[in-house]
Amino acid sequence: MKSKKKDITVTLISTGVALIFLLPIVWMIFTSFKELGESLSTSSLIPKSWTIENYTSIFGADADAPILTWLMNTAIVTTAGTALVVFVDVLAAYTLARLNLPGKKIFLSIVVGALTIPGIVTLFPAFFLFREVGYLDTYAPLILPYSAGTMGVFLIYNFLRDFPRDLEEAAIIDGANLWHILRHVIMPTIKPVVATLTVITFLAIYNDFLWPSLVTSSDDMKTATVGLANLIQGSNFVNPGKMMASTVVATVPALIIFIFANKYFVRSVTNTGIK
Amino acid sequence: MKISKIWSTVMYLPFFICFVLFWAIPVFYGIYISLHEWSLFGGNGGFVGLENYITVLSGDNMFSVSFYRGLENTLVFVGFSVIPLVLVSLGLALLVNNIPKKLKVFFRTTFFISYAVSVTAVSAIFKWLFTGNGGYINNVLNTLNIAPLNWLNEQPYAWITILIATVWWTIGYNMILFINALDEVDYNLYEAAGLDGANWWKKFRYVTFPSIKGVFIFVLMTTIIASFNLYGQTLLITAGGPQQSTQSLIMVIQQVVFSQNNLGIGTTMAVIMGVIMMVITGAQYWYAYRKD
Repeated sequence: MKSKKKDITVTLISTGVALIFLLPIVWMIFTSFKELGESLSTSSLIPKSWTIENYTSIFGADADAPILTWLMNTAIVTTAGTALVVFVDVLAAYTLARLNLPGKKIFLSIVVGALTIPGIVTLFPAFFLFREVGYLDTYAPLILPYSAGTMGVFLIYNFLRDFPRDLEEAAIIDGANLWHILRHVIMPTIKPVVATLTVITFLAIYNDFLWPSLVTSSDDMKTATVGLANLIQGSNFVNPGKMMASTVVATVPALIIFIFANKYFVRSVTNTGIK
Repeated sequence: MKISKIWSTVMYLPFFICFVLFWAIPVFYGIYISLHEWSLFGGNGGFVGLENYITVLSGDNMFSVSFYRGLENTLVFVGFSVIPLVLVSLGLALLVNNIPKKLKVFFRTTFFISYAVSVTAVSAIFKWLFTGNGGYINNVLNTLNIAPLNWLNEQPYAWITILIATVWWTIGYNMILFINALDEVDYNLYEAAGLDGANWWKKFRYVTFPSIKGVFIFVLMTTIIASFNLYGQTLLITAGGPQQSTQSLIMVIQQVVFSQNNLGIGTTMAVIMGVIMMVITGAQYWYAYRKD
């Protein structure tokens, strides 16, 4: 009996906290349907008179911010960047964990050592180098640099190291080649950690802000985060309804992916944190 | 194993090329730039040894003044943000951990959801919530007959706004780490403590906390480093104001590189910032694990 009472109390408190916690998102969505005059003066969360004008104005022919282009850029950059990271990291981690790579120990300590150096150190030199070779404001700097991260290699390496080699050895005895082993033995084995790496990388690239803001300048090349930042700093900011409509459009794709892949995100925290 | 060294090298090569091009070269090139007079648009102006480092650290010129101001602002933020960031996420984890099993996933997802929101979206939302004129919070205060506050242009309210936005944005990740740690606490210990008549605080102090101490230290360390990287929120919500009091170190570096066209000094500041962060991390590791 006592534990039932406790369950109800905890659930009630949690519901209250959750409502406060969700307020910014709920406010964002409701405000995007408010008219300008109302949104500037109201203390009510729910619109008195609903309007979709904020949305039609950002998608219409006379829209001043190409938000769909920005979202498309984010989609391209995020997909290509994640695919690249997963591809190079899986091959590198497998090589380090299982194959006979000359200088393996050195490469492994480089991978671990690089994790300790903060990103701010590489940011401006990398920007300068991309400018020197004339690749600013293209997809190249928006996609390629993420592949240098060593966290993914480290994750998969650790996973493989703790995993018995029996299946691989059996496959070798059966005369399987390297491609066959990778595809039919290793990939199924490392699937959970690859899923982890995929969701973290995806979200990290989707939400990255400082780096893409340095390397893009034309409106056509901006990602959603950079475009949105320009809106916050620009003259459109004076209309909260329109600002929130843009924020909803830029945020909802990530929220949907997050809710559907929630299991993998939770697992990713477990995998990247300490044991 | 019959897989040759050549194949191993071929398979390692894609990552290795990426790593060298986009990590190793920028790191060493950054150190090289910091030893030269170097403007973004004029390029390399010659070797100056450690002069940039002396300029940044000496305290007697405008670069140094802005560096120390940015460092101080960042340290102020680290100082007052870390405790709420860690404690709120621990509190949420304790709450979620006690929720009946059927509802647990729902609440866990809810409190984790802001993890999927970008810093620019967070800033757009909180800037309009807290804007002085026409912002939602002040409209609510007006309705309640409470005098509205100048949230974004007056201290300490500007820092409070940044703190609220940061707490909301980042606690989900730490909460999940704490939930996982709490799941592993031995349930029998609670029963034994209960039989001994321990209240909830004693149970937390003597059973829960010792079991999750490792994760607690890990969260503390990663939170300090994350707060040190303060950038998007202060750039977009307060624009560094009022009177540059929320201008973070990364904002200062960016200004030196782009507005003051001095890549040499800016890169030097970035290297020093990197070293400070590595020292903080190293010191924490040493402190946390010195007994082992």
